Amino acid sequence: MASQSQVLVEVKSSVRILTLNRPKQLNALCFNMISRLLQLFLAYEKDPSVKLVILKGQGRAFCAGGDVPPVVNNIVQGKWRLGADFFRDQYTLNYVMATYSKPQVSILNGIVMGAGAGVSIHGRFRIATENTVFAMPETALGLFPDVGASYFLSRLPGFFGEYVGLTGARLDGAEMLACGLATHFVLSSSLDALEADLCKVGSSDPSFVSTIIDAYTQHQYLKQKSAYYRQVLDVIDRCFSRRTVEEIISALEREATQEPDDWILTTIRALKKSSPSSLKISLRSIREGRLQGVGQCLIREYRMVCHVMKGDLSKDLVEGCRAILIDKDRNPKWEPKRLDDMKDNMVDQYFERVEEEERWEDLKLSPRNNLRASKIASKL
Amino acid sequence: MSDNRALRRAHVLANHILQSTPPSSNLSLTREVCLQYSPPELNESYGFDVKEMRKLLDGHNVVDRDWIYGLMMQSNLFNRKERGGKIFVSPDYNQTMEQQREITMKRIWYLLENGVFKGWLTETGPEAELRKLALLEVCGIYDHSVSIKVGVHFFLWGNAVKFFGTKRHHEKWLKNTEDYLVKGCFAMTELGHGSNVRGIETVTTYDPTTEEFVINTPCESAQKYWIGGAANHATHTIVFSQLHINGTNQGVHAFIAQIRDQDGNICPNIRIADCGHKIGLNGVDNGRIWFDNLRIPRENLLNAVADVSSDGKYVSSIKDPDQRFGAFMAPLTSGRVTIASSAIYSAKVGLAIAIRYSLSRRAFSVTANGPEVLLLDYPSHQRRLLPLLAKTYAMSFAANELKMIYVKRTPETNKAIHVVSSGFKAVLTWHNMHTLQECREAVGGQGVKTENLVGQLKGEFDVQTTFEGDNNVLMQQVSKALFAEYVSCKKRNKPFKGLGLEHMNSPRPVLPTQLTSSTLRCSQFQTNVFCLRERDLLERFTSEVAQLQGRGESREFSFLLSHQLAEDLGKAFTEKAILQTILDAEAKIPAGSVKDVLGLVRSMYALISLEEDPSLLRYGYLSQDNVGDVRREVSKLCGELRPHALALVTSFGIPDAFLSPIAFNWVEANAWSSV
Repeated sequence: MASQSQVLVEVKSSVRILTLNRPKQLNALCFNMISRLLQLFLAYEKDPSVKLVILKGQGRAFCAGGDVPPVVNNIVQGKWRLGADFFRDQYTLNYVMATYSKPQVSILNGIVMGAGAGVSIHGRFRIATENTVFAMPETALGLFPDVGASYFLSRLPGFFGEYVGLTGARLDGAEMLACGLATHFVLSSSLDALEADLCKVGSSDPSFVSTIIDAYTQHQYLKQKSAYYRQVLDVIDRCFSRRTVEEIISALEREATQEPDDWILTTIRALKKSSPSSLKISLRSIREGRLQGVGQCLIREYRMVCHVMKGDLSKDLVEGCRAILIDKDRNPKWEPKRLDDMKDNMVDQYFERVEEEERWEDLKLSPRNNLRASKIASKL
Repeated sequence: MSDNRALRRAHVLANHILQSTPPSSNLSLTREVCLQYSPPELNESYGFDVKEMRKLLDGHNVVDRDWIYGLMMQSNLFNRKERGGKIFVSPDYNQTMEQQREITMKRIWYLLENGVFKGWLTETGPEAELRKLALLEVCGIYDHSVSIKVGVHFFLWGNAVKFFGTKRHHEKWLKNTEDYLVKGCFAMTELGHGSNVRGIETVTTYDPTTEEFVINTPCESAQKYWIGGAANHATHTIVFSQLHINGTNQGVHAFIAQIRDQDGNICPNIRIADCGHKIGLNGVDNGRIWFDNLRIPRENLLNAVADVSSDGKYVSSIKDPDQRFGAFMAPLTSGRVTIASSAIYSAKVGLAIAIRYSLSRRAFSVTANGPEVLLLDYPSHQRRLLPLLAKTYAMSFAANELKMIYVKRTPETNKAIHVVSSGFKAVLTWHNMHTLQECREAVGGQGVKTENLVGQLKGEFDVQTTFEGDNNVLMQQVSKALFAEYVSCKKRNKPFKGLGLEHMNSPRPVLPTQLTSSTLRCSQFQTNVFCLRERDLLERFTSEVAQLQGRGESREFSFLLSHQLAEDLGKAFTEKAILQTILDAEAKIPAGSVKDVLGLVRSMYALISLEEDPSLLRYGYLSQDNVGDVRREVSKLCGELRPHALALVTSFGIPDAFLSPIAFNWVEANAWSSV
């Protein structure tokens, strides 16, 4: 079966190594992979002989995102409900990972974007390397940072999460470690040895796992142009803390007139190129997420993604995918076109239940014993 | 802790070298057999949409509230700490008074830099006002000191400039106040005079030769007292003072005086002393001020109501000194509005903590060797907390209604706002104090720990029963106003209109002699009892006062002698007004689970108010059997609200970080590993 080969399973005594194996598509998560991962994670949780789960990617990506084109196809054919099933299973998987009773170690040796973040950041250990490239690029696609991103982004220091989530800025491994998205940094040349050591752990105690990884950890300096340097962080905190997207942009523009630099100009450009509706619902989502548990975040994001697919207020997802993934003209025609046109009451609607839709239900997440999720928050 | 960790690390490494599995830690073994924390969410389910309910309770600006909650959580200035795997933000009350004052000021700077106060004085209209009220409420949920310090600056100093001042004051001060280029305080209360503002002893005269006013503190009892912001930070103050012009006292007027220069040095002819350490609110620098013939420019008289010309002539558009004083005081209603709503948010914090704890803490078993019982499964514990929860709900709607009539105020509604805000401020702040005390006891010893908040909040919020009008004085104002309304309607033989007294135009409601469960829960029955009580007490009060007057007592003295009826009447009026607000809220929402549960909450509010009021038996509105029925129904309602307890406190919408460790995993929060 395709799904079997798309997720490779290795059994190493009490450890299971899962490899996302769709290298040509940069391991983009398709429906089958998600179902398979969910099935495996639930089975391993029940199996007392399994102590630890390692997740990695085949090739140069860990996982570059969700497999969006089929979803967009469904939407275009008027079958957005099929897309809803895709997101329902994906978010359920994110939830299981976030509340998992055994440690998950994700080896992020390459691209980690969107859905890729969703299957790694919620887990207990995230190992970045010199090859890691992280981003939540959804606002450029007409979507919003989902897969529980409103939970983990909102818990980054200060307002770094708003910055990462709204601009789609790329982070390297050192930056991921500095902001807490990664728990460790290990050089890719050490990964094989680390994996071999992890396979000997024989315990689910995170402190044991941590000790093993610590032994391989490399100190990594931030690159000279990193956004994680204090003076840039201060600008991020000053601007991205603002109440609305409009106020964030005008705060950035004020900073730019005082001290124009590449970083600010790139940031402003990224915001202006993104979907206005995406920006507004993303900001609201991160702000609400900051005050919610991971389950509530996913339930809310599921409502939002259903509204995005249903397209009553904006069809930016279809347009964004056309411009970025299909026609690749990189020139999406957003609607509403301007931030001003995306009114508060329109934003509100993305957060409501999807009414007048037969058999539509909120995402149902069963109560889990291990609500340790908040622990991750404190780490971040 | 670090030794322990190092030891374990050594173990792991040793075992790693020996290629064997590490021994499982003894610590985790002992943990297994002991009590396990089980989050209430695992065992309780939500019978209604808590997000919908939160929208109803907060009433307005939910997104803005979430924004400022997040602002505070993301800054290190708000004393972020981790307990039991969760983040909390709450002031460090173990800091010295001076440290608390400085950090409070820094928090305000931070909020200012992030644009929280944008438009607070320069924007007008209900929308801007509601937003400001919402943001202030959240400040108060974090720390009462922050909201008081902000409130003094914007609502007392800022609003005084705005409402008592004219264009020249607005241009000079409002924007600068919004940007905190000036820091304002409000010097009204004196050592010798608090609620009785008309009796203050500070004296101001006018010197036409220099066109200056001269402010003087003639005696020790005239020193300004409890002036928030005066001890450390304020640069300017509003001074309330008697205005003497050519030997005539024109009554109380308000002036602007600078008390510190930009470097924080106290100005000449001003003396300032500290009010010292307090039982709470130590983040607010309350001070005392003496004026030694301080000279201020003529333009500093806030002249919306009265002015003094350059050659020293007193002019006022309002001739009657009583009315003039009333015009001065009217804008100060905002203080009572904000206090009433902030009291309810404090009660919400207390209840959310106590109820969450009672859904995870067990004590005693009812059977031998049986499991211990969850605190909230004890009917007695339900009886202690759930009626307070219902009252908090009802009063939450009352506070929202008060805010609405305040932001939509017109000259015609001033009287109603005065009466309603007086009653609500008193009843809601008393309710908060009772609630916090009950919550403190309900969580047992944990309530004594400052970090668990419920105990600490008592000290922080106690002053609410006194400032902006002593509660007892305010309640007397309510009954006096009702008296005046009654007398005037009877005298002019006109129907009652306003203050919710319209029911007095209909015949006295007749209550059924037998009270069944469905009767007791019927909104019409509940309204009837509350109306009957208010009407009868008003009639008794007016006739008692008339009798006393007939015996030759003055009207004022008669009021004093009738204080018992006055008190009962004030309470009856306020409780009825509160009931009306929750009934109105209920009526507005479509049929469904939210409406159903609000119906239960409203019945609980109505019936617990009846159960607690001896006047129903005293004056025979209900029979002995009736009150027994009420009591049984309260108990039944406790059982019916119990399954909703978690959902009802979750609907308060207060983020976890603003509650306290005992509301969550209190076992882990207290574990050795977190020492």
